[in-house]
Amino acid sequence: MTVKVEVVEGGVPHTKIMVAGIVASLVCLYLSYLNVLTNTEMFSFFGGLAVVSALIWGSHTIKVLCSYGIGTGVPSAGMISFGSGVIAMLLATKFGIVAPIAALIIGVVVGVILGYLSNEVLNMKIPAMIQSLTELAVVGAFTLMGFAVLMTGGFTFTSLTTGSITILGVALPSFQVTFIGGSLIATAFLLGALAVQHPFNACLGPGWTQDRMLMCAAECGFLSMFVAAIMSFALVPAGSAIISTIIGLIGWAYTYCKYMGLSKRDAASWLDAKPIPEVEGH
Amino acid sequence: MTAVAAKPAAGSALNPTAMVVGVVLLLIIIGACWQLAPGLAFMALIGIIVGGVLVGFGVHFVPVGGAPAAMGQAPGIATGVAMLAAGGGLAGLFGGAWAASQEGLVVSVVTGGVGGGLMMAITCMMVNFIYVYGMGIPAASGKIKVDPITGDTQTEYKSQGTEGHGLPFVSFVGGVIGGILGGAGGTIIYIMLLNLYKATLPTMMKATEAQILPIAISAAGIFAIGIFLVNAVLTAYNITGTIEGFHDPKFKRWPRAVVASAAASALCGFVAILIVTM
Amino acid sequence: MNNIVFGIGITALIGALAAVAGAAEDTESNIGSQGDPNSQVQLAPQMGYIHRIFNKAIAGEPPAYGLWIVLGAGLAWSFMAMQLNAVLAIVLGSVLAVFVQGVYATTAYVGRTASLKKFGQPIYVDILKSMTTVTMAHAFIAIFCTVTLCYLMNAALGHPFPLPLLGFVWGIALGAAGSATGNPYYGKERQYQNQKFGAGVPIAQSGNIVRYAEAGERNSLDNGFFTAKLGGPASGVCFGLIVFLELWRTILFENISAGWGAIIIGVLMILVFTIIDRYIEVWGRKTYGPYAKPEEAKS
Repeated sequence: MTVKVEVVEGGVPHTKIMVAGIVASLVCLYLSYLNVLTNTEMFSFFGGLAVVSALIWGSHTIKVLCSYGIGTGVPSAGMISFGSGVIAMLLATKFGIVAPIAALIIGVVVGVILGYLSNEVLNMKIPAMIQSLTELAVVGAFTLMGFAVLMTGGFTFTSLTTGSITILGVALPSFQVTFIGGSLIATAFLLGALAVQHPFNACLGPGWTQDRMLMCAAECGFLSMFVAAIMSFALVPAGSAIISTIIGLIGWAYTYCKYMGLSKRDAASWLDAKPIPEVEGH
Repeated sequence: MTAVAAKPAAGSALNPTAMVVGVVLLLIIIGACWQLAPGLAFMALIGIIVGGVLVGFGVHFVPVGGAPAAMGQAPGIATGVAMLAAGGGLAGLFGGAWAASQEGLVVSVVTGGVGGGLMMAITCMMVNFIYVYGMGIPAASGKIKVDPITGDTQTEYKSQGTEGHGLPFVSFVGGVIGGILGGAGGTIIYIMLLNLYKATLPTMMKATEAQILPIAISAAGIFAIGIFLVNAVLTAYNITGTIEGFHDPKFKRWPRAVVASAAASALCGFVAILIVTM
Repeated sequence: MNNIVFGIGITALIGALAAVAGAAEDTESNIGSQGDPNSQVQLAPQMGYIHRIFNKAIAGEPPAYGLWIVLGAGLAWSFMAMQLNAVLAIVLGSVLAVFVQGVYATTAYVGRTASLKKFGQPIYVDILKSMTTVTMAHAFIAIFCTVTLCYLMNAALGHPFPLPLLGFVWGIALGAAGSATGNPYYGKERQYQNQKFGAGVPIAQSGNIVRYAEAGERNSLDNGFFTAKLGGPASGVCFGLIVFLELWRTILFENISAGWGAIIIGVLMILVFTIIDRYIEVWGRKTYGPYAKPEEAKS
């Protein structure tokens, strides 16, 4: 008896976005392994690109889930996504080189169980619930891992907890100035949790269009990448942080302009300092 | 908070099969933890489950009116269930974590609970303050005729065309209880994980306890927040939107949320424990 | 003794910062129609009431403020790790967090409004330009004050949580306090000034928000101007009390009988607020009286 508000009409089907999201995130996370191979931290920006692709996928998942009225706000979906994702991601970092794949598997396990609990035990009876919560847990884990790579240059537990103490000759204890020790993970948590729910929350309504929402997701991803890259100055060499910052800023500017253009295309009208139009008549 | 207006079909019925599956899942995870890591880690898991259940149960007490409350159309606090509970619970966690750096488990947990209760008491008091002195609207419940604590009649104080407004005394008490349970639950999860990490991380990372302390605090803190949010959102799904407090008919749905919270916290706690025991 | 005096001084400063932050937060969210009153701004065009109100739907206030504060705190932490002066680091962190807030605000307004094409709601560029900057200014005050108080808790009072984690906790608490206190005042009292005073908005009237001002058409700056007089300060008092009393009871009484002193004081304060709340409730019932005659038969 669930009322479906809108179906995904036209556009790219969800399965395609999901597969593309998983593949792109995994490839980007693994490309950051070039850091280890070349013994630099120049390739940290691939973490940011993994964030962007995971967020695009996640925003569409949220669209699928929240099209059924789930009875509570869209933002809560982002919260449960990252609440389960942070746990899956931190365990996955223990697996060394296979960490991204481990994040996928652990995320699926955690997500399926949480989805079953909410759909069956809490009796929500929403067809897309289990699949959506599963996807969201993986999105959360990938996004956090992407932020971790972006800020520290690696996705292993050691690189997240053991800091390099060579930045400008800072003599701080090395465990404190790290991704986890400094709780930058808390910042990454909310950066992702808002970025994943914002595109659908901002674009919902009768005039929803897929390309506009996904462009907004990319915009949120690059914006988050930009600020995360600024934070990464504390943890990685300045050169690689500058690369990430510039890529984030360029990506953000491009997607932001695109998004504004798409909104202009979709809007009823685009007025500057005009009064309320007289439409009461019809 | 969202314009998606359709009401979900979830009723108040229990799904017995799913409840059994939930309990079995809980027992399997507890058993697996007992097998893998008895002792400190097992105790931590039990603590996390207790904390998670307290959070899930406590959220039911918090009177939340959502969007209609902002228009004086429904009683309760005008914000989302999960996030209001998080506000109270995390304020409690703040106090509890502070106390945990000096005091023992019981004192810290009670401190956390009182911190959450104090936050909710002030917030609920200010809600009524705005309603009465700012908008000239007396408090009235939409779900009951007589306040069960004070005996005040409610129906005739309900303005026309609304489901009630403000926070009747019973909802205020519910909010404080919810804050206390949420704050205490979040603090238990935090302290359990902190003690476990403090004991295991030094050998794992080959460092002294003082060195790994920031890691232990941050990891335990972010996990406590993560598990708290998972439980709060699951409970929000159970409540589906708004609730007035423990006198609301929706409150009777709590057994479902307790099973779900216990299983979800066991799962999340188990994963958090595996990080240091594997 | 010196320690306690120092602690009390810091506590007072933190309480003052929290009060300012709460007031700025509520005014910001009302100018942006964020949080629950947003549903009416969103609904109005669907009911045929085209308006010129800023509609920036960035989640609810608690998660949104959680992000702004945790972002400001994370950036400030990073700048401090780069050996920047603490004050400079907090200011820079807040500036960057406000930049993110402004970007989110514009995308939310443009996106929501574009989705209302069916009902003919236009996107007003002048609203985008003038309101976003004003919300950013208020958000900067809120973020700067909250990040500073988190820094003081960590650095001066010795709370074990690192700065970003404190930002997470207090950001969400700030949003929760601000939306709980401020939302009804904006949602009922300002949006529905055309309805009866002293009563809730009848559900049938949903969407019929006031769209015209004393002169010309109302925009969100008029709303901020109105709610800054009661809703904002009340939110400030709410958040200020929460932060101040939480710290005050810990600083002064934690050492009495191994932590139980702070607990007893906390319980006493909960009781005091319960009594105040009951007084307000009874005062409201007595002064305003029932809307209808009590129904004897039912009870």
